[in-house]
Amino acid sequence: MGSLFSDSITLRKSIGISDDEFVQLRDFIYDKTGIFVDGKRKYLFESRLTKRLTALGLPSFSDYIKFLKFDPRRAAELNKLYELVTTNETSLFRDLKQLEAFQNNVLKEKLEEQRAAGRRELNIWSAGCSSGEEPYTLSILLHETLRMELARWRITITAVDLSPAMIARAKEGVYGDYAFKTTPDAMKSRYFTKEGDGWKIKPAVARLVNFQEMNLNDPLALKRVPRSHIVFCRNVIIYFDQEMKRRVVSAFYDNLLPGGYMMLGHSETLHKISSSFKPVFHPGTIAYRKEG
Amino acid sequence: MVLATDLKGPDGRLLFKSGTPLSSRHATLLARVGVEEVDVREDTALTAEQLREIEDYVRDFFLYANPDFEPTIAMFHIALDQVAEAVAEGWVLPDLSRRRAVSVEHLEDIFLTGMGTPETIVKHESELASFPDIYFRIREVLADERASADAIARVVGTDVSLAAKLLKLVNSPFYGFPQEIDSVSRAVALVGHRELSTLALGISAINYFRDIPPELVDMRGFWRHSITCGVIAKILAETQTGLSSERFFTAGLLHDVGRLILFKKLPYASTEAMLFARENAIPLVEAEREIMGFCHTDISKPLLASWKFPETLSNMVNHHHDPMTFPNPLGPSVIHVADTLTNVVELAQGGMYAVPPLDEAAWEQLGLDPSILRGVAESCRKQIEAIMEAFF
Repeated sequence: MGSLFSDSITLRKSIGISDDEFVQLRDFIYDKTGIFVDGKRKYLFESRLTKRLTALGLPSFSDYIKFLKFDPRRAAELNKLYELVTTNETSLFRDLKQLEAFQNNVLKEKLEEQRAAGRRELNIWSAGCSSGEEPYTLSILLHETLRMELARWRITITAVDLSPAMIARAKEGVYGDYAFKTTPDAMKSRYFTKEGDGWKIKPAVARLVNFQEMNLNDPLALKRVPRSHIVFCRNVIIYFDQEMKRRVVSAFYDNLLPGGYMMLGHSETLHKISSSFKPVFHPGTIAYRKEG
Repeated sequence: MVLATDLKGPDGRLLFKSGTPLSSRHATLLARVGVEEVDVREDTALTAEQLREIEDYVRDFFLYANPDFEPTIAMFHIALDQVAEAVAEGWVLPDLSRRRAVSVEHLEDIFLTGMGTPETIVKHESELASFPDIYFRIREVLADERASADAIARVVGTDVSLAAKLLKLVNSPFYGFPQEIDSVSRAVALVGHRELSTLALGISAINYFRDIPPELVDMRGFWRHSITCGVIAKILAETQTGLSSERFFTAGLLHDVGRLILFKKLPYASTEAMLFARENAIPLVEAEREIMGFCHTDISKPLLASWKFPETLSNMVNHHHDPMTFPNPLGPSVIHVADTLTNVVELAQGGMYAVPPLDEAAWEQLGLDPSILRGVAESCRKQIEAIMEAFF
């Protein structure tokens, strides 16, 4: 059959970005966030950001770069930009095997250690928490592990993300079916209540989590996080280049208390990034221990 | 295409009403009841709204590609038309949740990240399972310049299933011989001993992967992709002077063979890569690099070396994502272009992956006019079903 589409339909819908503009914008984003946009993604980048140019009525990427640097409204625009350069794909109970290994080994060990020392407190840092799925999952695991004993513990899960929009959604704590695709039904009914089309996290679980906006590229901000027994940073450093990966991992190392653990995403590794940690192997995951 | 008038069978019974969209399924049905001719008209059943939806849908898969590069634009139009045709035949465009939802939580990798390099992964595989004996015997015949047509026929004849597949293949429209070929020795005589041996080599290699569990990956879909790439590669190679096009079907058939090892050894990570690719609208090969730190061609290099696969074939497979880094880039470039076009024609069959960028220098190697691509995609489509049938 003949084509139903006019030959004049163009593939290009976006405003073109020159190589020079691309490099400027890429460097700008890197300076601000540590997120590195590979040159291979130039066209993807161009089409995603075209929406912002159109919304602001800017004719070219040079104008957009000027806007980001000098316009009085730049702070709000930066947040929009952050949302477009990171994907926030995650779910509750993501990577069950890792979580199970974490609960039965790392968490158990830390809790016993603290009990033995008579300090019933635990600090966990969830870095790059997106819309809250990970810190809430950790809070649920703590509820499951400690049960009635939980009341006698002081537990803080500091959950940070670059994007204010994500933090706002995390605080709201309402999730649709997609977020539950790997959540055991019992967990869902025990820790969530139906709300509209979705499910809302129960206040007791939310209470342990302290959300804040944070740029992992801001060394001063990182220093304000209370020292942790455990750091979770899953599927975040994937967006960074080697240099930024090293910086962030070393900040986690400094933040961890001696004997603390760092957990990375299933497919992430410290290979070529840091040799300070001691990898501890469990079926389903590697926990990185700070010796001492 | 839709029926222009009510269609009645030879007995006068109404079979289909005027306006019914016609698909290949109808053609088979009608032939069966003895209807040889029908009145058809162009289908204008798609509304402007549907056309716009199709345009947006297809465009989403091209976001990674250079929107100003002429062959890419040609591929975009091919995808538009094929998707429109599928929609007119009743296909419903997958929505976002269908494009993403897969749970990987039941899968377990054999290697933890950072512990398996492509070399150790391949070593683990080759220590576990032995490669089919028939493969090595075919390779010997292929390597022997003086081997007779009889010798290859004898070797292939010892493996009944292999011989049957080869015969189905040479009897398919892909070869288009006017008469039925009923013996391997006849096939060797008609197709040529090198081409037939190369084919036999490829088919015996894919047999090795029969045991990959279907819940892990849609194997039919995988082989459909591979066969499509092989068919397109052969058609493209025939446009080139000085290339023996015989090898290209086999190279296309095996171009993603590294992925099969990844499915076997790193099922969680490779499924994560698939999800990552879909969610971020990036090509699968990019997602593999991000998630695992290497990609399927890094696996195929040690794999094909351990199989002692013929070098010209290995080079095409190993460099299909970076053809210009190979000293003699024409062969890998053909596979590269074929793979890209394969991703394009798959969109109308529910393909979920972003179209990888076409390497502009690789395209220049072929010296073709972009207008040729439409014909290539069409003739591939006509052949693919028959070839799929030969394999499954």
